[in-house]
Amino acid sequence: MSRAAAPLQWLTMGLLAVGLLGLSPALSLSLLAFGLAVLTALKLREARSLEERRVVALLQLVCAGLLAALRPELAPSLLQGLAILMALAGLLALELGAGPDWKALMRRSLQVLLAALPIALVLFLLLPRLMPFSNFGTGQGMGAMTGLSDSMEPGSIARLAVSRQAAARVAFPLGGGPPPLEQRYWRVLVHDRFDGRRWRSSAPPFPRPAAGQPAPPAPPPAAPGEGLQLWLVEPSGLSAVPWSGAGRPLSADLTLQRSGELLNRAPGSQRRVYALTRTADQADWRTEPPGPIDLVLPRGDNPQLEALAASWERLGSDRERLNAAGSWFRSQPFRYTLEPGALPSQAPLDHFLFESRLGFCGHYASAFTTLMRAAGVPARVVSGYRGGQWVQPVGGNGYVDLRQADAHAWSEVWLQGEGWQRVDPTAWAAGDPMARAVTSGDTPGSATPWDWLQQQWWSLDIAWARWWLGYDSEQQQALVRRLLGDQRHLLGLVVLLAVAISLAASLGGLGWLGRRRRGDPLRLELEHTLRAFARHGMAPQAGETLAVFAQRLTQRWPVLSAPLNAYVGHYQRQRFASTPSRTGWRETQRLGRTLRRSLRAGNMPEEAVQRGDR
Amino acid sequence: MISAIGAVLLGKEHEVRLALACLLARGHLLIEDLPGMGKTTLAEALARSFGLGFKRVSFTSDLLPADLTGLNVFDPGAASFHFQPGPLFSQVLLADEINRASPRTQSALLEAMAAGRVSVDGTSHPLPRPFLVIATQNGLDQGGTSALPESQLDRFLMRLSLGYPPRQAERALLQGEGLRPDGLSSAFGPEDLLELQTRCDQQHCSAALLDYVLDLLDRSRHQPAQGHPLSPRAGLALVAAARAWSLLEGRDHVIPDDVQSVLAAVCEHRMDGGQRGGSDGDLSQRLQAGVDGLR
Repeated sequence: MSRAAAPLQWLTMGLLAVGLLGLSPALSLSLLAFGLAVLTALKLREARSLEERRVVALLQLVCAGLLAALRPELAPSLLQGLAILMALAGLLALELGAGPDWKALMRRSLQVLLAALPIALVLFLLLPRLMPFSNFGTGQGMGAMTGLSDSMEPGSIARLAVSRQAAARVAFPLGGGPPPLEQRYWRVLVHDRFDGRRWRSSAPPFPRPAAGQPAPPAPPPAAPGEGLQLWLVEPSGLSAVPWSGAGRPLSADLTLQRSGELLNRAPGSQRRVYALTRTADQADWRTEPPGPIDLVLPRGDNPQLEALAASWERLGSDRERLNAAGSWFRSQPFRYTLEPGALPSQAPLDHFLFESRLGFCGHYASAFTTLMRAAGVPARVVSGYRGGQWVQPVGGNGYVDLRQADAHAWSEVWLQGEGWQRVDPTAWAAGDPMARAVTSGDTPGSATPWDWLQQQWWSLDIAWARWWLGYDSEQQQALVRRLLGDQRHLLGLVVLLAVAISLAASLGGLGWLGRRRRGDPLRLELEHTLRAFARHGMAPQAGETLAVFAQRLTQRWPVLSAPLNAYVGHYQRQRFASTPSRTGWRETQRLGRTLRRSLRAGNMPEEAVQRGDR
Repeated sequence: MISAIGAVLLGKEHEVRLALACLLARGHLLIEDLPGMGKTTLAEALARSFGLGFKRVSFTSDLLPADLTGLNVFDPGAASFHFQPGPLFSQVLLADEINRASPRTQSALLEAMAAGRVSVDGTSHPLPRPFLVIATQNGLDQGGTSALPESQLDRFLMRLSLGYPPRQAERALLQGEGLRPDGLSSAFGPEDLLELQTRCDQQHCSAALLDYVLDLLDRSRHQPAQGHPLSPRAGLALVAAARAWSLLEGRDHVIPDDVQSVLAAVCEHRMDGGQRGGSDGDLSQRLQAGVDGLR
């Protein structure tokens, strides 16, 4: 048992503990992982004998595997990989005895891991899989960590607006550049219930399938050419997740509400990854007719506002009322600011519209939607993200980076015959940051080296999500269909065969690595030369040293005496002297080449020599 | 110098070289052969060529330990005991026919060989340096012998056997062309020997060479049919002897050929347990053939 074994095993425990920190305690499997880790640590503390330490190493591997099932994202996966590397090194330290040092243990452990890769790949590609464990969760997260909130009253987003915290990223892996800036509205929540101050969402919490009901059928995979939007959303505490408003969900986890909210089954306290097609024909939520709730307005709260709206009511169509409201907004000296001050509790919107005229998106969306409702036009507030920075990482697809500072609220207005239309009243105010961005290009982002690093990392993260997490059972079945056609019943056989082949390849590779490790360049050079002599029927006898063998060779080919002696001399000096030199190594190589060449050329035929002897 | 000793011991250059290597490696030498083969001559020649203090003890079955180490003698003048050193206190001790002595005496000698000092009545007396024992023994099939146990055989770095000289050399011997060892003049002194011994320790042993030695030891331990396994002390002895051999070859590093040259002398008596059943280097040859010599 090597002395490195105990530190390595404790190091593994530490890594596993760090991995455990990221688990959400809401999952029952996390509790299992916690318990297993504690058990392993206790066992490690009391372990004395080799057998006990072996048990610890195996427990650690199981623990890492459980973690991997619970947290498949990129960063946790790297951590788990490291933990497995250390656990294997610890096991190797137990089994290989006192010999190898840390470096050798790490190298060996890495080799074992690499050798396991082919099998892992086969299993990953072909073995039918369980549902992702993370879906066993409880739907709602542990409360808002960051981001948008279910209810909105002007002021609630002001806190976010200054935060540069990451909110989400969206990539379009099947090509297509960045979407135009004016179209970058990523909707999350729809607020249609208004009580005079506060906007709420009437969408039910995530509809959970009743027990016994079959799971919703998996949606068909994206047809080629349909495009893809791949989302990575940081924990938000909401089950609604951002999307572009167009596109079709590609996973059974996602449900599209009639209001245009996209709900994700995974708990909001976790990072979520999902994909939609990039575009689809006019999404049906746009044509979903409004309900009575879209006109509800507590009358008498804001008399001035109601009077203004009443002046538009005589206009014929909703479109004309919308236009009138737009031109009224533009005619007033509204100014965008992040610090508008508190609104009075009496007639707050009157105060905003006719006195202060200072506010941010929440104020504008709220006031405008109220105006439209007062004028008899169905309207609602939508919150989500606007803009975002287009990032083109080194060697990868670009993506849009959304920060909490990009949180935004706007209005949607129902127009007969046209469906729900997005109206962003904030854009009419002077000093809207978005308007500035549209004229100057992308949203300006501070480009510290740290930001740059983070952007590169996210790009890796997206690639991982696409190729690793995105390879779900549908894609797997598509692959199996492509491989086997109608012969799908042969899948088990194919898996077994592939596992056997990759196992053989791994063992072969390990053996090759082992041989290579023993064979340093000098030794390889010698073997090369020896093979050349062996082709002429001269092989070293058992236990024979190079010098003795060279003597026998000289007896057979006296011509070679000089180069052979020089070769042996150089080789031995390189091999056994205290200070081998670089020139000596080159000289050995050169002489070896000379010997092999003269053997190949056959310009020292022994017949001639023998004749000379006679 | 080899040729000088060779002039005394006709036709035995390899054995002379081995004996010299043994001397340089600070080892003790056991020479075993039939009577009249030149054992004593070799021992004497070695001692004289370095100008070492030389004493000779013929072992007999009634030799007592005190006869070797010396003893405390009562001095009537000073009315006290004082230590009277025995023949052990010389630089080269020729223990002639060691296997004729009783095991008790043998072990007293071997203790002194291992520890480099002698304890008499609770007082330690350091032995001179260099200290070298050249023991000769007759073949075990000869009458009046008691065999050295394996543990004591292990104390000897090498065992040599001289064998019959080649015909040419024997002819020269008969013609009286050989020299008597007392006719050797020494070009070297004891200090030269000490310096050579120090240089021996500095001979470079590369990792590849140590691997070779380790493989040899390993092989001897996992092939029980091929004699006794080699002890770690045997490994030390092998490396030390190979170092001395490489120095004699004029190199500053050790190569496997050096190891092979001394292998039989160093290892055979450790492997056959003193029962030289006519194996004659057979065990060490098999050992050598069992390990890849190409390094």
